Amino acid sequence: MFSWFGRVSFVPYSKVQDFALHLRNGYLMGSRCKACGFQTFPPRADCPECMSGEFEFVEYTGKGTVWTYTRIDAAPTGFDDDVPFTCVVVELEGGGRLLGWSGETLPQDEVDIGMDVQVVPRIFEDTPDIRVFYTIEKPGTTWHKAPEPHLG
Amino acid sequence: MSRVGVIGIGHGRFGRRSDATVQELAFEAFREALTDAGIERRELDASVIAAVPEYHKQRSVAGVVQEYLNLNPLPTWLTEVACASGSAAIRTAWMAIQSGLHEVVAVIGCQKMTELATADILALMGRVGEVQWESVFGTTFPGYYAMFATRHMHDYGTTREQLLQVAIKNHYYGARNPNALFQKEITMEKALASDPVASPFCVYDCCANADGAACVILAKEDKARAMAGDQVVWLDGLGCATASMSVLRRPHLTGLPSAHEAAIQAYGQAGVTAREIKVAEVHDCFTIAELMAYEDLGFCEKGKGGKYIEDKLPYIGGGGVAVNVDGGLKAKGHPIGTTGVSMAYEICRQLRGECGERQVPDANVGLTHNVGGIGQYCFVHVFKNS
Amino acid sequence: MDLGLKGKGAIVTGGSLGIGAAIARVLAREGCNVAINYRRHDTEARKVVEDIEALGAKGIAIQADVSVYADAEKMVRTVVEELGRLDIMVCNAGITWDGVVWKMTEEQWDQVIGVNLKGYFNYNKAAALHFKEMKYGKIVNISSINGMRGKFAQANYAAAKGGEIAMSKSLAKELGRFNVNVNVVAPGLVLTDMMENLAPEFQATALAETVLGRFATPEDCANLVAFLCSDSSRHITGEVIKIDGGQYI
Repeated sequence: MFSWFGRVSFVPYSKVQDFALHLRNGYLMGSRCKACGFQTFPPRADCPECMSGEFEFVEYTGKGTVWTYTRIDAAPTGFDDDVPFTCVVVELEGGGRLLGWSGETLPQDEVDIGMDVQVVPRIFEDTPDIRVFYTIEKPGTTWHKAPEPHLG
Repeated sequence: MSRVGVIGIGHGRFGRRSDATVQELAFEAFREALTDAGIERRELDASVIAAVPEYHKQRSVAGVVQEYLNLNPLPTWLTEVACASGSAAIRTAWMAIQSGLHEVVAVIGCQKMTELATADILALMGRVGEVQWESVFGTTFPGYYAMFATRHMHDYGTTREQLLQVAIKNHYYGARNPNALFQKEITMEKALASDPVASPFCVYDCCANADGAACVILAKEDKARAMAGDQVVWLDGLGCATASMSVLRRPHLTGLPSAHEAAIQAYGQAGVTAREIKVAEVHDCFTIAELMAYEDLGFCEKGKGGKYIEDKLPYIGGGGVAVNVDGGLKAKGHPIGTTGVSMAYEICRQLRGECGERQVPDANVGLTHNVGGIGQYCFVHVFKNS
Repeated sequence: MDLGLKGKGAIVTGGSLGIGAAIARVLAREGCNVAINYRRHDTEARKVVEDIEALGAKGIAIQADVSVYADAEKMVRTVVEELGRLDIMVCNAGITWDGVVWKMTEEQWDQVIGVNLKGYFNYNKAAALHFKEMKYGKIVNISSINGMRGKFAQANYAAAKGGEIAMSKSLAKELGRFNVNVNVVAPGLVLTDMMENLAPEFQATALAETVLGRFATPEDCANLVAFLCSDSSRHITGEVIKIDGGQYI
């Protein structure tokens, strides 16, 4: 069900696929290595520091700062209805970086390097199937989290 | 350790080659290289093919090229590291010769970019980044380099005009290179007015895909001297380094760590510094890429790339290193598997003094800087003519 | 079975009489705070609120014309403010205005569609806007077996009831990703005042069809609705459950 993630999916399976399930419920999850404590976003199953394969999900606040961005006008396949969109790379509180779209509270011409932002989990509303993503919004933007369901 | 030298070179016309298959393109360059080396086919020991296979309908391109060049039963294999495949193939051939396993190896870069339907090509290009966390949001190849440009402009005050000066220079030289895809110069007005692609880039910041092939033949030192005498160009410095595939894990976005590292290795091995480099072929897939290359390769200080091009230093006779005076990727076009070999071809011609109106005076040490993707691979080679 | 409804907030349209009133009372019995709306029967509505409060829950009654969307939006806002939360929307308000098609006036058609089908759209939409933000919600729409099998002299009512089923299935598909369940309860004949207007021979025919030999009470329907409002039924969505004693199998 990692295939839920993104406007278009290229990756159906992953050891961290529950990331998409958590995102749908409004939780942004990074990973922490159970052996050495190395924490990062995006989550990864295998620790780059100590090589352990034992990981757990850890919730991120979604707070961060803009590291770089670009407004894409020429669309790749599958994104023809979305251009122009602005891809923003955010340095996250908690460690790691995230790439996502600027959201409604953040006009494309206001995005600037170094500004504080809030990553917000989102669910696509115009697709027949469940698809999840996140947007980069102004700090203080809130959203609701669903109670976590049974996993599997 | 004995040296390895280039004894023969060949290059086909880059462009939309709907007149030929990938193996027919390879043959054009190969034939020219053999003639240039003055050797027979039977004097080769092996070939190494550089191509990015996903763009071809033919599976296992190396095999079909080897057959068409009539090189069976010689050994061959494909090397692929995205846009750096050409240089990777050259490094592989160098290693094969230094190991003693082979003595004379042909490196053939060949690529078609236009065989698939447009939608398939676009879809392929959409998967250029890290598909799990990035491509799902519609990142594009220009988009990635645009993110570098946004950062460079923020940190160092680099301007859009400075970026486009790179394109203007390369089209100036491309207009003087019959093998280049684009044969016309461009103006700043025209460039600034072109369609936006990914901020801050417009169409003129971006190289174009192309079909094409190039070939260089390498030989071990004693064979090279015997076969090619004064014409040999020596490959004396080889650097190679990698960096994260994902832009999310780079230490910074104002240069390519892999290029910087590869340059240090190549200069060290060749016993030169950046100051000795007279002519260079760098990987200008986008204008910012060439600008960052001036800095990563030590042609100028970090952050001063904009000024370097604005002051026209990388032009022939400009006072700096002459960069991409065959048009670069920007004007030649970028058949991705071939580009590294095309770069080597130009440096060899320069070091042999054969470039006519595009000749860099006293070119004795040259460099190629060939990047794969957004810098997950970089190969830097230093050549000398004596 | 503890349905886990304690402290939740619900709206029941047409909650002053019959099935709606029973649903309101049963939800309150389960600990849910309930807001009802009504058209004319203000005395009965007040009595339902009293009963809700006697059960220890909070109750609100609002007079409304369910065919007006703005009122639906306003009610959702009011309920979220006064009850603190909204988790459940039960659409029940409905009228009949029977007649064979060749005698049925446009007004008869429009009124019944307007109150029954459009009314459900209004409240389902207002609830959907809230539930998708909350990533939680239960919508139960009360239909009828007549919406599934048709009924003599009820082209308008059957059309509305059938339309509610198709609408509910569409909403289930749209809202599932937000953790919202949308289901339909389809009673047969139920012992309410709507039924009291039926001629005795029609009642007898209906009873003869019903394999369990009895009619549903409003509380029978309310128990099913309460189940569908709970997380015990969290995996049921886009479903139509008949509660008709086997009147239409």
